[in-house]
Amino acid sequence: MDMRNRFQLRRRPVPAVLLGALAVASVIAPDVASAQGARAWRESSFVPTPQGEWNGPRLPDGQPDVSGHWSNTIGNHNNLTDPQGPFGADDEGPPRTPRPNARQPKPRNERAPSRVSDPPDGQVPFQPWARAKQQEFMKYLNNPIKPEYVEPFARCAPGGPSKSFMWHGYEIRQFPGYVVFLFDSGNRVIRLGAQPHLPANLKLWNGDSVGHWEGNTLVVDTTNNNSKARLGRSGEFVSENATIAETFVFDPSGGRFTYNATYTDPTVLTRPFTITIPNRKVTDKDPGDDWNNLTFPAKLAGNQPVGAPPILEAYERVCVEGNGNHGQVVAADDTQQLNKGAEKK
Amino acid sequence: MSTRTLSLLAALGLGLSAGSGVAVAQTQPAGPSIPRGADKKPDFSGIWQSLSGADYGLEPHLATKDGPPGAGVIEGNVIPYRPAALEQRAKNFAARATADPRNKCFTLGTPRGIYNNEPFQIFQRPRDLTLLYEFGHPVRTIHTNGTEHPDGHIDFWLGDSRGHWEGDTLVVDVTDFNGEAWLDRVGNFNSDALHLVERWSYVDRNTIRYRATFDDPQVYTRPWTLEVLLYRRLEPNLQIIENYCATQEFDEYYPVPLSKVQR
Repeated sequence: MDMRNRFQLRRRPVPAVLLGALAVASVIAPDVASAQGARAWRESSFVPTPQGEWNGPRLPDGQPDVSGHWSNTIGNHNNLTDPQGPFGADDEGPPRTPRPNARQPKPRNERAPSRVSDPPDGQVPFQPWARAKQQEFMKYLNNPIKPEYVEPFARCAPGGPSKSFMWHGYEIRQFPGYVVFLFDSGNRVIRLGAQPHLPANLKLWNGDSVGHWEGNTLVVDTTNNNSKARLGRSGEFVSENATIAETFVFDPSGGRFTYNATYTDPTVLTRPFTITIPNRKVTDKDPGDDWNNLTFPAKLAGNQPVGAPPILEAYERVCVEGNGNHGQVVAADDTQQLNKGAEKK
Repeated sequence: MSTRTLSLLAALGLGLSAGSGVAVAQTQPAGPSIPRGADKKPDFSGIWQSLSGADYGLEPHLATKDGPPGAGVIEGNVIPYRPAALEQRAKNFAARATADPRNKCFTLGTPRGIYNNEPFQIFQRPRDLTLLYEFGHPVRTIHTNGTEHPDGHIDFWLGDSRGHWEGDTLVVDVTDFNGEAWLDRVGNFNSDALHLVERWSYVDRNTIRYRATFDDPQVYTRPWTLEVLLYRRLEPNLQIIENYCATQEFDEYYPVPLSKVQR
């Protein structure tokens, strides 16, 4: 591989390299993003945007114009129900290598609330067997003695409908009939209008999404979920029978939106639950931080107006090799042995 | 004689005598019936696919166990490799079962993603074109907002694409390749020094003429050009279905293997 200038010229390294590094680094150090200067994006509380009218700018096709670069404002996917806390509730979880300068998390009531906004206890309403499975996944995250313990996200798999909003900054592009999300690991197309879903037996990483606008809210029905993506490194999951009702509620100022996703899955849950994630638009005033803000100002030709605000671009989002072993927390040789062993089953 | 017929004849002429028909085809307006955006530029939005079979081999080739025969898509039929590059292609061919990036589910790159046998979707705004490929589900952006290539060489799988309009033809300058992608299944390749110039133009409202000129002195003795037609997929409710090919090797382990769970 030609490594020429890779690190000198790219503020953000090639994602395949970065993903591996981040996956490992983040497992070891959950506050890695803060260490990278993204502290401004770590809000300990937020007010969900209420559904209502849209009086902001519109695109020629009538959609509210929400295109641009965005990021969540509470943290990464280490822990679904305690976004700024350690792994797992009550500091239980996989062993971590202590870092000399690791910051102690703030008390729970000073950290962002659970992403599970309903039920009120902030926990996924698992059936008992599923709760045990989640605990098992969390326990073995750093010691994946079975292939199913390897968090699929660490293998360049897409993050799935909800967890994609718990990771790097992303871009929204809008077109007549479509809202398109460009994530660092996978992309997602939401078709607008009365569109039929794919045949039910086609199960996809990011599901099949059909949506429409109601005022300031993009309402999305997501079916055909393969549910292979976890909901956090903390091990929460649903089954491929899950359906997701999502709302993207945009503040008419254009600066924020709240993502809500209600999961219904009688196979795994005792009742539906809802994930809520606050998001803020990336602007040219935000410093690049290699996590929330992955943008850089485009190079303008000489004929561009002087003083015009910079055009923000992001590098190609290709989790290139996407071929398995990088990003895992065990050594590659061990992983190969692991996979060979699994194949023999 | 309709505009469409004229265009088709021009296209046929291209195939029969490459060179003489090129200038005609590129200056011939595709007619008032092509889709246009609010900016009056041709609007390439839609789901497109090549039927050229170019991914089986860019040069003329007979059928093999790998794929069907093809008359090739290159003007002059032969890629003008330097001797050392020709040796590299032979090595690639011999190792294609494991060395072809496609067989490793890697992003196909530019231009291979265009004429691959799977469809891709174009979303278009005045400022850019967003190309979503089915294979691997990656997105390539062609910027048409007057911006330039970023400084320095950057290793992109899909290259850095900056386009402008010459009449009804979208001309795209592509640089910053990583040199790891192949051009087809039989080992044709380029280096990271490739400078690619694409020309996209409507033949009629459901057909795009796609031309790509390769300039890569490390690998070729002179620039060369390929051309394929892209056809609009018209099936009702057709959509790009995500094909995260790389996930297939571990699909079986997820989600929770319910059959293995003690209930």
